[in-house]
Amino acid sequence: MAEEQDLLERPERPEIIAPGYTFGTVTDQISAVVLTKKTPIFWTACFGVGFALLLLFLWSVVLLFAKGVGIWGIRPPVMWGFAITNFVWWIGIGHAGTLISAILLLLNQRWRNSINRFAEAMTLFAVACAGMFPVLHLGRPWLAFWLFPYPNTMAIQPNFRSPLVWDVFAVSTYATISALFWYVGLMPDLATLRDRTTSRFARFTYGIMAMGWRGSARHWSVYETASLLLAGLATPLVLSVHTVVSFDFTIAIVPGWHSTFFPPYFVAGAIYCGFAMVLALAIPLRSVYGLKGLITDKHLDNCGKIMLATGLIVAYAYLMEIFTAWYTANVYEHEAIWHRMFGPYASSYWSLVMCNIIAPQFLWFKKIRGNPVLLFIWAVIVLVGMWLERFVIIVSSLAQDYMPSSWGLFHATRWDWATYLGTIGLFMFLFFLFIRVLPMISIFEVRTLLPQAKVEEEEAPR
Amino acid sequence: MMAQMLNFEIPQDLARDLKQWRTRIGAVGVIALALTLLGALIGPPGQFFRSYLWSYVLFLGVSLGCLAWLMMQYLTGGAWGVVIRRPAEAAARTLPLLALLFIPIVIGVPTLYSWSHANIVAADPVLQHKSMYLNFPFFLGRAVFYFLGWLFCSWYLNRWSENEDRTASPVAHQKMAALAGPGVLFWGVSVTFMSIDWVMSLEPHWFSTMYGLLFIAGQGLSSMAFLIALLVLLSQYEPMSRILTHRHLHDLGKLLLAAVMVWAYFSFSQFLIIWTGNLPEEIPFYLRRLTGGWWWLALLLVVGHFALPFALLLSRDLKRNFKLISRIAIFILFMRAVDIYWQAAPDTTNGVFAPSWMDLTAFIGIGGIWLAYFLTNLAQRPLMPLHDPHLEEALEHGRE
Repeated sequence: MAEEQDLLERPERPEIIAPGYTFGTVTDQISAVVLTKKTPIFWTACFGVGFALLLLFLWSVVLLFAKGVGIWGIRPPVMWGFAITNFVWWIGIGHAGTLISAILLLLNQRWRNSINRFAEAMTLFAVACAGMFPVLHLGRPWLAFWLFPYPNTMAIQPNFRSPLVWDVFAVSTYATISALFWYVGLMPDLATLRDRTTSRFARFTYGIMAMGWRGSARHWSVYETASLLLAGLATPLVLSVHTVVSFDFTIAIVPGWHSTFFPPYFVAGAIYCGFAMVLALAIPLRSVYGLKGLITDKHLDNCGKIMLATGLIVAYAYLMEIFTAWYTANVYEHEAIWHRMFGPYASSYWSLVMCNIIAPQFLWFKKIRGNPVLLFIWAVIVLVGMWLERFVIIVSSLAQDYMPSSWGLFHATRWDWATYLGTIGLFMFLFFLFIRVLPMISIFEVRTLLPQAKVEEEEAPR
Repeated sequence: MMAQMLNFEIPQDLARDLKQWRTRIGAVGVIALALTLLGALIGPPGQFFRSYLWSYVLFLGVSLGCLAWLMMQYLTGGAWGVVIRRPAEAAARTLPLLALLFIPIVIGVPTLYSWSHANIVAADPVLQHKSMYLNFPFFLGRAVFYFLGWLFCSWYLNRWSENEDRTASPVAHQKMAALAGPGVLFWGVSVTFMSIDWVMSLEPHWFSTMYGLLFIAGQGLSSMAFLIALLVLLSQYEPMSRILTHRHLHDLGKLLLAAVMVWAYFSFSQFLIIWTGNLPEEIPFYLRRLTGGWWWLALLLVVGHFALPFALLLSRDLKRNFKLISRIAIFILFMRAVDIYWQAAPDTTNGVFAPSWMDLTAFIGIGGIWLAYFLTNLAQRPLMPLHDPHLEEALEHGRE
């Protein structure tokens, strides 16, 4: 008896989800978003914008295929332009989803349970957007399969010393594991939707997708093993993908690119802007769908803190970049940084400093982290800042490298912008489609957060 | 409530043993350092400073790493943080001794660092350019600045921790948590510039933006290995025998594994980038470290500093086994010494692989004196924070 009393009096950590939820209400609330016939205007509007931009994307891609990459602003010496900037930006956004789903799972950070599903979806769609750019950028995209080492009559292999080839493997592995992880995590919830829907078509579709999930103890045991294994596989991917992306730059000896700390710096930047995207999606969604009890202020606060921490690592990187450029006593390194700060791209550089270093310092204050509207604005600022960062790294280093006679500036054309905005459209299109037809929050994982689930949770083998 | 059932004061048998260890280790340390000083008089010129520098950087790294983990646990919370608080605080309190032990390095600047010679600098345009940063007064000023910062963090965290024990007021914890964020930031930046000043500038032409991060990861790793080995040792005595559970070691073991991986990731990235770039101003660093005897040390690092501990620490059972994880931790500490020797020594000997007996005596000397002082500090306070807000949770950890 005395022991029970002790247990009751034990100081609990602040609850991750709002009080008052039961297993039933959690399931009701999350599945209702999908199973209802009524679609909120917010959804229709966002989906519409996404669809319109997707059409813009299709238009620009058709034009690109018809006329060639010349419709973009890429000219020697700046051959990487927007396409690679967007590639790095999009793939970075994906990283937060993997961090949340894999690393935070392994670290027993249970608050992740209510944001991991849509963050993983975000990862998938961001990787889809990212993966298209290198292919579109090839000029002859129909020959993209040359990047794979397939057996061919000419006995030609891709150059395995090139990080661009490593990219092919890194990104395709990443896409595969992310898709698997996301789908495996969905299965119990698909079965819930199958059991709850009243429409025959929906029951049939969800039923097929749930792969015969019955929720037996054996299913759960296999499920737990699979998800831990996938989390273990996905964890190194959080680091490896952006590390390989950073090798695209560092392996080249271009001034401003060949810097040894690029791998961790790129990874930190990726997580930074990924969490910004998580916030930019979570904040509107939770108000529109009334999910503030599940995605609480505590979640936003935690995401804000991670943004601040990774933002500080990025700030450290900028500081070391400038210091080391001076410390090298190498005229090309000096010039590379000097051009960035005071050259033709100075406005982009200082904007990114504002967005990525100055602005996030406000996140030290709990007031800002506790205010969803401000946090949303801050997240958008960081997204813009991180895009500018990649743009400045790529374009300024290529535009002015060793010989002044080979210098040349980059000017984006309207098709550069159209392709970029188009992928934002593709992302929105896919994401809102996902919101409409699949549960955006993991139903069964949120149920484990409830106080009622506590006993079972603690007896479960870890 | 478990906290009321346990007495966190150091019991008599532990106090006696701590005193005995302290005396013995301290005596060995003093003798070894005396031998090293003797070597300074009769041994090869400059060898004293060369041996002293790398040993000093190693043990400073353990103290600073403990300070960083202490601040990290205030930031993140968690049961693992409560059990390491007292040892980490005691390690942070050794910083005044380390500040004192820095004096020989200041004396050794002309021997160790070529940039401190006006004639060498005058003949070298690169060094002329860097002389704005690499000059003796500024070097000293920066060192003073780092130490002031570290000593302040250590003093502040220990002061409020003592206050928390005495008054049980929640204010103390808030104060410490408030310093933790800026403190970790200061630690990261200061360790970066410390590594540039004291080790990287041994070869003043070479540079790498990864270098500071390597030391940050290295310090985190050495100190976590030290804390694990110490906790397992203490767990043979009351009250730690009743506090420390497999879950605690499992958590700490995960952090150890993470630090091993981060170190390997940083090291390999730096190597790959410099190796493929193959630029005349960067590659000498590795050419020097991959020839002669250094090559074997480099291989030892790959196997012993990464592959072996990585493979072993993946095992869950092993992380929960008191004896095995403490052995791995001690092995990692040894590998940290090899790593710092490999980083620092080749430049001071102009690339010749010439380990000296003074390398050993300086290592034992500084280590012995540092450890004795650490044990003195550890014996001063109860082994667990009496009023940490997560104390109950930490004691229950692994007992549910």
